[in-house]
Amino acid sequence: MIRINHILQAKYLAAFLLMQIPLLYRLVFFDVAFGFFYVGYILLLPHGTNRSLIMVIGMLSGLLIDVFSSTPGIHASACVLITFIKDSWYNVANEHSEDDVDLSVNAVGLWGFTKYALPLIFIHHCIIFIVENGGLINFWMLSGKIFYSTILSFIIILTIGYLLSPRKQRI
Amino acid sequence: MRNLLDFLYRYRTFGLFIVLEVLCAWLIIQYNNRYNASFLNSSNTLAASISQASQNTENYFKLQQINKQLLEENERLKDSLINRPLIYAGNDSIKARYHATKARVINNTYRRSMNFMTLDVGQQAGVAPGMGVISGTGVIGQVKSVSQNFSTVISLLHRNLMVSSTLKRTNTICTVSWDGLSPIQAEVKFVPKHIDLQVGDSVVTSDYNSVFPPGIMIGIVSEVNVKEEDVYYGARIDLTTDFTSLTYAYVISDDLKAEQDSLENLLEQ
Repeated sequence: MIRINHILQAKYLAAFLLMQIPLLYRLVFFDVAFGFFYVGYILLLPHGTNRSLIMVIGMLSGLLIDVFSSTPGIHASACVLITFIKDSWYNVANEHSEDDVDLSVNAVGLWGFTKYALPLIFIHHCIIFIVENGGLINFWMLSGKIFYSTILSFIIILTIGYLLSPRKQRI
Repeated sequence: MRNLLDFLYRYRTFGLFIVLEVLCAWLIIQYNNRYNASFLNSSNTLAASISQASQNTENYFKLQQINKQLLEENERLKDSLINRPLIYAGNDSIKARYHATKARVINNTYRRSMNFMTLDVGQQAGVAPGMGVISGTGVIGQVKSVSQNFSTVISLLHRNLMVSSTLKRTNTICTVSWDGLSPIQAEVKFVPKHIDLQVGDSVVTSDYNSVFPPGIMIGIVSEVNVKEEDVYYGARIDLTTDFTSLTYAYVISDDLKAEQDSLENLLEQ
């Protein structure tokens, strides 16, 4: 049985998902970097939760973003894929230990978090930009958008993650 | 049978994954239809109210710029009123065909590869899917779906929107569509090579569409390419509308659209 810090999850929900809505297309740098930091909420869902449950949560949060960007299904499909592979990917990227429930930055360390989050953010951004673009037309512009957006989203997620994640307690 | 149930049970997570992805794919494909009554977009009342609130905050800081835009538009309208030929003044059948409904843009994107905007008018103001949307400076899009008080508009900066247009100087029919690159430029297609196309020509909406009134400005030709093997020119226009600072728009309703469409459909059958 795993213990989930519900208060922390509620904070993540507010900071990532709800904050994203007013900032959805206002947080754009140099015309290519879009900050889709809501994906941080999905990445920080506790490790080891029932996978079907988190896939449904992922789908719903993706649909919420879709409603505001008029792209029904695109963000949702990317989120479902991320939630489906995130636990397995975490076990590959970081050595698995049974009590790793909390995936916050302070708990897994900066390098551990980067190894875990950055590739998943990249996959997520690949899907949403390519599907929205309807294929690989304007390839260089598209890959620029994906590349810079991944970096921007990662930086924002890392910052919010640091601010919210609980300090390691000494026993 | 038992084996089948066992199999399904063992792969239930993967099954759910497939089901959810298929559901998403269905949503994506279904949304590609030109007009729909989807509630999963920005004309959804709840979503639009939230967009409106955040846009209101943003507009507060842009009041000076908005004022200036409206003043400029006023000036243009005054100008055209003065220069208007008297012959049209009493001609009600021309005047009465199109009506404009004023609207505020409460959500607008221009850096994506498919751009949409949200307006604060809906069914109650008489807006219906398929109507044209213009601003003070030119064409900006076409209504995609409406709710009670809001509507989602396909921006001209959307690769699926084609606007039937003409070159003002030569009266040549052509098509304007966006190529997904820059929010200040679009492409002009299907201008035959025997026409003398020049940089600086105005491109306006044509008489042949039932979406926009004829003669609405779209852009000015900025680049003309001639390729030996092509039948048509490859040309680009600078859009006259600045999509990065849209605040007000007008939804155009055409009283004779139903009549024109049914007549044209009759011919096609």
